[in-house]
Amino acid sequence: MNAAYVNVSTPHADRNISGIRLAHNRLKVAVFVFLLAFLVTAARTVELGVRSGAVEQSLALDIVVEPVQYGRADILDRNGEILATSLPSTLLQADRFKVQDPVVAARQLVEILPHLSYEKIHSQLVGKKGYVELARQLTPNQKWAINALGNPAFEFLEDEERIYPHGRLASHVLGFVDVDGKGRRGIEGFLDYRLSQTDQTQDAIRLSLDIRVQYALTYELRAAMNAFQAKGAAGLVMDVNTGEVLAMVSLPDFDPAEIKSTVEGARFNRAAQGVYELGSTFKTFTLANALDQGTIDLTDSFDATKPLRVGRFSIRDDHPKNRILTVPEIYTYSSNIGSAQIALEIGKERQQEFLGSLGLLERPSIELTAVGVPQLPPTWGKAATMTVAYGHGIAVSPLQLSTGIAAMVNGGRLVPATLIHNSEGWQEGKRVIKPSTSRKIRQLMRMVVTKGTGRYANAVGYRVGGKTGTANISVVGGYDRKAKISSFVGVFPMDDPQYVVFALLDQPKGTKKTFGFSGGGWVAAPVVKSVIARTAPLLGVAPKKEDASLYETVSLMIEE
Amino acid sequence: MRRMVTGLAVITAMASGAAVLQLKLAVQDKTDNVRKIVQDIQVDERAIRLLEAELAYQTSPNRLQEQSNRFLALMAPKASQVLADPSSIPERPAGARVDSSIDLTVALEPEVKKPTKKRLYKRKGAQL
Repeated sequence: MNAAYVNVSTPHADRNISGIRLAHNRLKVAVFVFLLAFLVTAARTVELGVRSGAVEQSLALDIVVEPVQYGRADILDRNGEILATSLPSTLLQADRFKVQDPVVAARQLVEILPHLSYEKIHSQLVGKKGYVELARQLTPNQKWAINALGNPAFEFLEDEERIYPHGRLASHVLGFVDVDGKGRRGIEGFLDYRLSQTDQTQDAIRLSLDIRVQYALTYELRAAMNAFQAKGAAGLVMDVNTGEVLAMVSLPDFDPAEIKSTVEGARFNRAAQGVYELGSTFKTFTLANALDQGTIDLTDSFDATKPLRVGRFSIRDDHPKNRILTVPEIYTYSSNIGSAQIALEIGKERQQEFLGSLGLLERPSIELTAVGVPQLPPTWGKAATMTVAYGHGIAVSPLQLSTGIAAMVNGGRLVPATLIHNSEGWQEGKRVIKPSTSRKIRQLMRMVVTKGTGRYANAVGYRVGGKTGTANISVVGGYDRKAKISSFVGVFPMDDPQYVVFALLDQPKGTKKTFGFSGGGWVAAPVVKSVIARTAPLLGVAPKKEDASLYETVSLMIEE
Repeated sequence: MRRMVTGLAVITAMASGAAVLQLKLAVQDKTDNVRKIVQDIQVDERAIRLLEAELAYQTSPNRLQEQSNRFLALMAPKASQVLADPSSIPERPAGARVDSSIDLTVALEPEVKKPTKKRLYKRKGAQL
């Protein structure tokens, strides 16, 4: 080829030759560049093959394991036990325009899902709407069976189901979720926003409840409610140092999964929403107030020989001793006459101020949607001052009372009640009485159980203290003598108070076993005793022999 | 010489092509594998969630008490049965030696009792 060019020596050919040279040069450059590129690639390949470690790791395909998302966060108890969780479920809907034979389709469907009614399904399938929702929460088997029908009209949608593994337990605290997945009542309602926040559904909410304690309290209250044919019952277990509610029970209760079939009034939370005249348990506050102000001393005594007349009322004792009573006796034998006299010495203003400082005169704050507002005497005159002293004419919720009692025994710190777990285990709270007054109250409460009206609450070994409360239910124009609210507020162990246990029965009837009595000491105190005996080992309160010297002085002031 | 170089280049090119292809396939395989593992993790996570809910249901105090009433005769513990301090357990008395030749497992085997009417009645009243 080259020879042909040599023979033709024209300027034209010269240009050709220089062009060829240029092409050669360019080719060389290209070859060089490619060679270089190949060398770099080869070197890199060798490097990658020889080297190992972090560098290639980061070069690897980045696959992130997306956590399975749910529409609602879990609710746990203080020990991490699941109280409410969301699980995937299937929703069945039908495209009405694809339904060829509604009669056959409806019949087939009812065969697979027997809880549906044929009439309803049929009317849905012939109705006007394009898409109709037929059933929720299908089991995998049902889904398979419907699929096997081969009917193109039936479609499935991914849905979510809220599960409450403990059923009725703690239903008033938890609340429930409606058909649209929105939280109603209780924690579900109160913390609905937080529970359904998309970026927070992985973080469960830990409640202060202990499901085992909740169960023990529910069980004992239900047993007492049945035994005494009470209309309802309420109970609370609360940590006196942190204000954490370990159990909150209201009976009758409901099943959050079967919200439609709830009994009338069962959703009402008697422990937080219901306000009751709680009777003698209020004497604790009257005495604490008087002792703290120095108005009275434990050694003082009051005349309880005859009923006290105020206007057209007369104040009587339920357990009359008809003699002069010392302050510890007034508390132990639950003397209304004595308490009313003490209240007169305290005076209206200081009484209101003290009850106000305990939060008994206003709506308490707790993580529930429905909370009861206390009912106060319409005119707080002399008569009201006297009746409030023993818990009549003022209605508060069991939650408020328990919070107040906790402050009386924990050294005088009012810690607001909460349903959310507090990992710190100690709350300073607001000081309401002196530690020395708190000590006296503890002694008095223990005396009620060892010598007074609360003997049936004495769970041996756990040094229980407490106060009975029995109040007639107020009706228009006075009180119903037969219908009672009987309650008992217990604290244990009395030498180092840890927990308040409250039990209330709504209109209990006396039985043969209680000789017809239906007061707090007869019907509610045994509940508290059983609950303490069952739960103290779970809560780490060890039984021990009591140090009798703690109560020696007070004990001597009580004449049996 | 030139032919040899060309041949070598062709062979090298083909070999490296094949190697790259194989590498690609291997990577694809691994990726598929990883994707499958991710899927499995999610399936397992769902299953764990379901099982956790099931466990909570099965160990609900209500159910436990029911089972206890049926199969055990447990009562609420009395204060005297609770040991506050493990140091209050007495030491083994000196001189009381354990005879290692005795097969303890026989002694530990629970005695099989047939449920009598009396015992069944007892069980019904039992509490957790």
